[in-house]
Amino acid sequence: MKYAEALKISQSRLAAAAQPFTVALACGCADHHLAVFLNAHLRARFPQRDVRVSSGLYGDVVGNIQRLGQTKIDAAAVVLEWADLDPRLGLRQVGGWSPSALPDILANAESQAARLVAAIVQSPRRVPVAVSFPSLPLPPVAYTPGWRMSELEVRLHSLSAGMAAQLITTAHVRLLNPQRLDAVSPPADRRDVKSELLSGSPYRLAHASALMEQLATLLQSPTPKKGLITDLDNTLWRGLLGEEDIEGVSWDLDRRSHAHALYQQLLQSLADAGVLVAVASKNDAARVEKALRQDDLHVRPESLFPIEAHWEPKSLSVGRILRAWNVAADSVVFVDDSRMEIEEVKAAFPTMETFLFPTGQDQEIYDLLIRLRDLFGKPSVGAEDRLRLQSLRVAGAFGEAAGQRASSDDFLRGAEAEIALDVDREPPDPRALELVNKTNQFNLNGRRFTELEWAEHLSRPDSFYWLISYRDKFGPLGKIAVLAGRRQGSRAIVDTWVLSCRAFSRRIEHQCLEMLFREIPVDELVLEFTATPRNGPLQEFLASLLDKPLAGPVRLTRQQFAAKCPPLYHRVKELIHG
Amino acid sequence: MDDFRQRLVQCFATVFPNLGPDEITQASPASVGSWDSLATINLVTVLEEEFGIQFPPEDLECLVSFELILNYLESKLVQVS
Repeated sequence: MKYAEALKISQSRLAAAAQPFTVALACGCADHHLAVFLNAHLRARFPQRDVRVSSGLYGDVVGNIQRLGQTKIDAAAVVLEWADLDPRLGLRQVGGWSPSALPDILANAESQAARLVAAIVQSPRRVPVAVSFPSLPLPPVAYTPGWRMSELEVRLHSLSAGMAAQLITTAHVRLLNPQRLDAVSPPADRRDVKSELLSGSPYRLAHASALMEQLATLLQSPTPKKGLITDLDNTLWRGLLGEEDIEGVSWDLDRRSHAHALYQQLLQSLADAGVLVAVASKNDAARVEKALRQDDLHVRPESLFPIEAHWEPKSLSVGRILRAWNVAADSVVFVDDSRMEIEEVKAAFPTMETFLFPTGQDQEIYDLLIRLRDLFGKPSVGAEDRLRLQSLRVAGAFGEAAGQRASSDDFLRGAEAEIALDVDREPPDPRALELVNKTNQFNLNGRRFTELEWAEHLSRPDSFYWLISYRDKFGPLGKIAVLAGRRQGSRAIVDTWVLSCRAFSRRIEHQCLEMLFREIPVDELVLEFTATPRNGPLQEFLASLLDKPLAGPVRLTRQQFAAKCPPLYHRVKELIHG
Repeated sequence: MDDFRQRLVQCFATVFPNLGPDEITQASPASVGSWDSLATINLVTVLEEEFGIQFPPEDLECLVSFELILNYLESKLVQVS
């Protein structure tokens, strides 16, 4: 991004009602250019928010980090440089580069690194902090020639890596990946000596922009895609499952098809991290089944669900897969080696991201793997991720069993359903915010929260918060619902309510309201409902309880609910009062 | 030369979005309240980016109005071409 463009974006006017999004920029150098670029890149990612970037004091990065808790901010970006570890590693102070000074430079850098790590760890944990480690080449401090690594350089890089190792497990801290920064900003083109000497800003504009773009992405933390639909022939493997059967396909070095093995390996990794992976292939179903049973395949067939193998149009397969997953098209990626198939699917699902699999072009396949990793990337893999595919299969079994019973009441009575409530909000389970921010269909009002907003939301006086888990004899669904609001006299104001689509048809939504009336306890609920383009299931549920059209906040008395609530058979297993 | 002037007007419009075209050509720190040290940094940065030049530190103090900057750019860029 050019500086002029960044200035225009950061100075552009927003709607008066735009909510502020305040980000503290903590660094030791002159930060004006960085602040302008950070503002512009954040605005591109949060177009509805009034982004404000606040700066700290020149030369006091530790103090700037320590002061993060003194003002209300939504996020922080920490930019570290070698000069922050010891001023002699910058260009504006001349403290001596003689060999005899190097041990002292290193010792001082080690002390300062410890202070920096402590300050970052102690920064407010409700605020996400994005951190970049020194990105400039070291100046010619050591006595070795530039092509030979010096002991000082090795130890300084080790120190920087050690800081990252200490911070990587701190929940609210996100570390910028230097490998990605290297890819978008060549290391040799980063330093601006004139600017550093003149104004204390050591970065060339292009690097300042790239650095701030990466930090903005870290703070945005884009929502990962949920599912990937892959073709088989010339995609999952090289070749066609035709007359030659499995002899016609390969994924190994000998037959120059190893890039497909890497693709399979990535798919298995994604599946193990909770990504849904399905197959849409124009093929003979029996041949596909046989091929997927090959021992040397690097993706396990049980990780692929559903498998659509037949000769119907791909768009029909994709439609069925989306229904089986109960996931919207814009959360899914489609990969196929045929432009025609991609166009056909794209026409039916315009919001779906599609990729042409570049068969025969190993470098392009590798680039695709990196792109897919980014689209599905997440900071950690939790129990819910491991449960996702299993719970979809459970949902299938549940639906199948329900269909075989004459009465849904008979079926639900025998399902041995258990509901567990977790009310512990110090700290809140990150799964709760994840659910709130990604659930569309059963979502009371579609409101999304930043981590800070969510923490503040839960800390309001008289507020309540439940994270609800579910299991039945078919298996666990995991943490599938969040309810939050505040008590106001004999009423409960519910302002947050989401339920995962995997958990529909179990009367969990009824049990949620029943529990509110019983546990808070209150006589009336005020549900802060807003219709969104995608919360149809929630609207249908509320409409089933009321005898009037839905509009604005929905009031529901205990009597109204009791008159409409069907029998509930869940055992509420656990209630922890935090 | 008209091209220099037009590009310079655009640079000023980027840094001082509230100024009209007539105000831009008359602009100086005395006439533009928002022309402070940060605005100077922005203006120098945008000018260097737009015209592909580096202002020597000793020249920066002289660049204190639209006209002076225009004259400076014309002299420097004509020399280069």
